Amino acid sequence: MAAQMESIAVPNIEELFRPTHDERARQSLVSMLRKHAIIDLRAKVRSEYEDKVAPELSARGQTVKDWRDIESAMADDPVHRIYSSLRYNAQEMCYQSVQPAVERALPSMIDLARDLAARNPTGGSLQLDPSLPIPRYLNALDVHLAPGWVTAEHTHDDVAQGAVVAFGGKVFTGQHPYRKRPGVVAESIAYWIKKTRPGFNPRRILDLGTTTGKNLLPYKTAFPKAEAHGIDCGAPVLRYAHALAEHEGIAVHFSQQNAEHTNFVDGHFDLIVSSFFLHEIPGKATRAVLNECFRLLAPGGLMIHMELPDAASVTDYENFFWNWDTTNNNEPFYTSYRDQDPIALAAGAGFDRAKAFKLTIPDSASFGEERYAKFLAGEIQAPAHGSGGWFIHGAEK
Amino acid sequence: MQADPTKVVLPRTSKGKRPVFFDDPSVDQLMTFVIELTTEVAVLRERLDTVEQLLERDGQVTRASIEAFQPSAELESERNAWRDAYLKRVFRLHSTDQIEG
Repeated sequence: MAAQMESIAVPNIEELFRPTHDERARQSLVSMLRKHAIIDLRAKVRSEYEDKVAPELSARGQTVKDWRDIESAMADDPVHRIYSSLRYNAQEMCYQSVQPAVERALPSMIDLARDLAARNPTGGSLQLDPSLPIPRYLNALDVHLAPGWVTAEHTHDDVAQGAVVAFGGKVFTGQHPYRKRPGVVAESIAYWIKKTRPGFNPRRILDLGTTTGKNLLPYKTAFPKAEAHGIDCGAPVLRYAHALAEHEGIAVHFSQQNAEHTNFVDGHFDLIVSSFFLHEIPGKATRAVLNECFRLLAPGGLMIHMELPDAASVTDYENFFWNWDTTNNNEPFYTSYRDQDPIALAAGAGFDRAKAFKLTIPDSASFGEERYAKFLAGEIQAPAHGSGGWFIHGAEK
Repeated sequence: MQADPTKVVLPRTSKGKRPVFFDDPSVDQLMTFVIELTTEVAVLRERLDTVEQLLERDGQVTRASIEAFQPSAELESERNAWRDAYLKRVFRLHSTDQIEG
């Protein structure tokens, strides 16, 4: 019986990734290096500013008008330079440390993804569109310093960028206190929806810019009766996402589409989500995506984007911290995206301003039920975005 | 596009302007050398630890047994504590850090 179960199990594309002893050692060190930069040195940069640079500014009679003044004042600071250099190098090494093992696994990964796309053993599907124009904002730079990012295809039926993004992402978050498991954002948002809207039962869910689908699968687990869809412009990440979802036993329909204009009919979805997505696209595209969300949602439907906190929601110092990625992590729209008011963006797309929201919700896995009840009662706030909380914005139609 | 998937070589550098954090870009380059070398030392140290673990356990070691070695959760946690302390030691800042351990 056990052997029979074994034979019908859907193989896991991620088990084909087999780094050597030394490659694993390198990946583990890079995870810690990344933690050293983003947690330990980040705290030291803050002390450097508060204890040294800010007092010097005020001694010279200079006032800080906005985050750019902090950026100028910190430009020559040695601690900030070391932090920036370590953070940049660690980011590059996240992807570099997994690439040799991805190259070795690639032929078998492609075979498996191809087979699962033909069979759909779990009941999902994969619809690619080789004629889809890839917007320049998606491949002019390699976002996150990931060479090839989500769209590059190196061979036929390629899944390499899916594997590089997935495993590079694991190295990236390997020692992050709140991101050690994939999918925690979707888990946290699904949990918040269930707590705040107990009767909400979406028929269909759509994830925009889904990449490898890791922040889509938990929605299907939370709302098992819903039909789940994920779209992205990148074929290699979708092939990978589909293979992974089929293995997980979670039926998802993946299609290669630009979120600015999709082929779904009006009012097709009750829940539209995205995570780590909108800040990667230019303002014009953001507005088109939100218009599309409005069109695709049924009345009573819900749009929720997990995003970076907007500039107005945090201090000048935090804006200085967040906007680092704009020029240093190939995320050119980061600052201009954060400068926009999420409520105004939703209203501009046709949503009722009174039904638009922005807030930081707790990370559901780490917060604890007792504290969550207090959060819902308005007695305590969620921790800051990325430090035990997740910033979300959206609207109800 | 490479027709043979066994011959794919993924690009190791990303498109986009590389920022320069120091007055002299050579310092940025040297930082990369130092960080890579720091990583190599940690990899070498972990390999040595694996050899010691295998010798203690089996009394012998082969390249194949090194590759097959799976650290227990306890050992992995010890290794992470070492990595953390190691990076704090190597990247000690003149301005704020005390020398530890």
